[in-house]
Amino acid sequence: MGWRRRSSDSDSSSSTTTSSSDSTTSTSTSSMDGGGMDGGGMGGGMGGACYVYPAAPATPGRVTPNVSYNLGIDMNIPLTMDDGRTVTMWGFADNGGNMMGMGGGGGGMGGGTFPSPAMRVRQGQIVHTNLSVNMMMMHTVHHHGIEPAPHSDGVGHITWDVANGTYTYQWRPSSAGTYFYHCHTNTVLHAEMGMYGALIVDPPEGPGRLYSNGPRYDVEAFWVVDEVDSSWHTLGWTAGTCGGDVGLNELNPDYFVITGVDGSGNSAMNLPPISATVQRGQRLLARYICAGYHPQRIRFGGLTGTVHVSDGRVLPRPIQVTQLRACSGERYDIIFEPTSRGTYLIETDIIHWVTGEVLGTTRTTVTVV
Amino acid sequence: MRRRNFLKISSGALASALTGASSYLLWQPRAHAETISKTFYITHGYITQPDGVNVYFRGFSNSSNSLNVPGDALIVQQGDTVRITVINTLGTDHRFTVQGHGVSTTVRAGEQRTISFTAGNPGTYFYYDSSNAPYNRLVGLHGGLAVMPRFSSNRVYDGSPTFKYQKFWLFHDIDPVWHARIRDRRTPSTRYSPRYFTLNGLSGRPPGAPGAMDPAVDSMVDPRSALHGHIGDRTLMRVMNAGLCQQSVHCHGNHVEWLTDNGKILPDIWSKDCVYLEGNMGRCDLIYPFDYPPDAYPRVSRGAYPMHLHTEMSQTAGGGLYMFGAITDIYFE
Repeated sequence: MGWRRRSSDSDSSSSTTTSSSDSTTSTSTSSMDGGGMDGGGMGGGMGGACYVYPAAPATPGRVTPNVSYNLGIDMNIPLTMDDGRTVTMWGFADNGGNMMGMGGGGGGMGGGTFPSPAMRVRQGQIVHTNLSVNMMMMHTVHHHGIEPAPHSDGVGHITWDVANGTYTYQWRPSSAGTYFYHCHTNTVLHAEMGMYGALIVDPPEGPGRLYSNGPRYDVEAFWVVDEVDSSWHTLGWTAGTCGGDVGLNELNPDYFVITGVDGSGNSAMNLPPISATVQRGQRLLARYICAGYHPQRIRFGGLTGTVHVSDGRVLPRPIQVTQLRACSGERYDIIFEPTSRGTYLIETDIIHWVTGEVLGTTRTTVTVV
Repeated sequence: MRRRNFLKISSGALASALTGASSYLLWQPRAHAETISKTFYITHGYITQPDGVNVYFRGFSNSSNSLNVPGDALIVQQGDTVRITVINTLGTDHRFTVQGHGVSTTVRAGEQRTISFTAGNPGTYFYYDSSNAPYNRLVGLHGGLAVMPRFSSNRVYDGSPTFKYQKFWLFHDIDPVWHARIRDRRTPSTRYSPRYFTLNGLSGRPPGAPGAMDPAVDSMVDPRSALHGHIGDRTLMRVMNAGLCQQSVHCHGNHVEWLTDNGKILPDIWSKDCVYLEGNMGRCDLIYPFDYPPDAYPRVSRGAYPMHLHTEMSQTAGGGLYMFGAITDIYFE
């Protein structure tokens, strides 16, 4: 069980307290009884981190990869909404590897985008995701839908949380389709803050086919739909981990985004590769990711699509749809072969997980010429 | 076990309750129908949540001095006679209803009732208190019932893919303000704001947290919830949602086979890493295949992965405490 930290690993377990106020970090080794800082798991929440396990060990079974991604961290990505307000997002930056996470570059500041940079690999390639984090904080990369060894699965807290160094996640995708990756440390907060990016697995023959010997496509659109509760966006990376009510049970979104832009107005209406223009006879592949937490319903504005793949797995029989419901983390790969000219409105409702109320809607278009 | 209630449940009482549950889960197919008897005691008390707050619950319990939320999972065979005695120890009227079986009876305060019914179509069903809906169900009066196909030890329905082991994954979400209001015999009047999220009545504990690795506290290792298998040990999860929140059931390590949705057999079996679980008694049957994790390099056959709800608010307790929510572990052994 050495690959996995459990409370039985008492001799080596350490807990770290980070004060966000002065950006210093102290690490102390504690017994299993007190393993998570104060034992009671409460009374913290003042910037300390509990039940996190900073580490950046060597990757078991490491080999030379076919593809590498070097990710750093950016905790200050401004996202300007249609109403003119700027909300701070967090994300990964594709400049992390050279800095060994020691600051100045990708380990803690700058270079990030929302969403984080897309990964695009081919089925069967050995991939390294090199995550560099500085000493001030902890993050991981979980490649959602990809099923690697536990030590490359990136689940913080129950394995380790990358800090003060670089950790390499090694994986080899077996199935083509649409995935995403996201941080899995204090996940409820970090993923909501925007720490995710698209992950596309192409078949060995490359883009243009959805899966090996599967349907071809000519144009791609990326519909990554998410909600933002701006009241969460002043919290520190450790918020809630030691206890205390920081409101993470209540996601009351005030912005609705599609692939990184405010989707509730017109910003995404004509913005490839969110929107798409296709000629009659061409095939459009829409890669739809339900990246928020509340359920969603996507409507295709009169177009009928064919779902061939969901969650990176080929459906036994494709299904024809004019709309889809989706839950958090689901993906659908939908091919459209439109025959009539026109502009079709693609709308995604974000639906409250209890009440079923439509909280907001993102909009983009498919134009058929 | 950090449960407390009016009745001062001892850990011994709880241990015996779990033993009772496991006896029902040791399933052997039979060539003949049998009469399966079970007695539930409607009891109440407080259950301590991960942040130390005691929340009021009522349950279909195994004895008059225990509090079981959810009630014991029952597994019977199609055609069996199921004979349920419900003893209401409380001062409030309740109702015992079996989903999909047309069975429902009121059990008045301080009284008891016995009902018998024939186990119907194979599948996964709630038994629950359907009165004062949804409040009596939300306050804890619910549990799972599996009806196995005749003569089958390894199918969900006739002709379904097979499994080796089966578990119930009964999810719940809890608004303590509502629970207190129900205790006081009043109708909740506030907006529903769930603060605790459970799997088979327990929440997760990350390593190092008090109660971590204790199967009576930590849903990640609770034997009712955690999956243990070698490669090929296909395991059925009977997934049920007693709460009000719509959820996304997310397994790491393997995709799951999605067999049924709200009691309907799906026309095709999809392989999914997130499955939509509706609120208000949504159900699905999933098989975790325990295949080699397909994207590992080099290949691995041992290790542990989480299953958690991807609706990440459900991974919290009391507004924080990430990883103290509805989560369990999947052990490749």
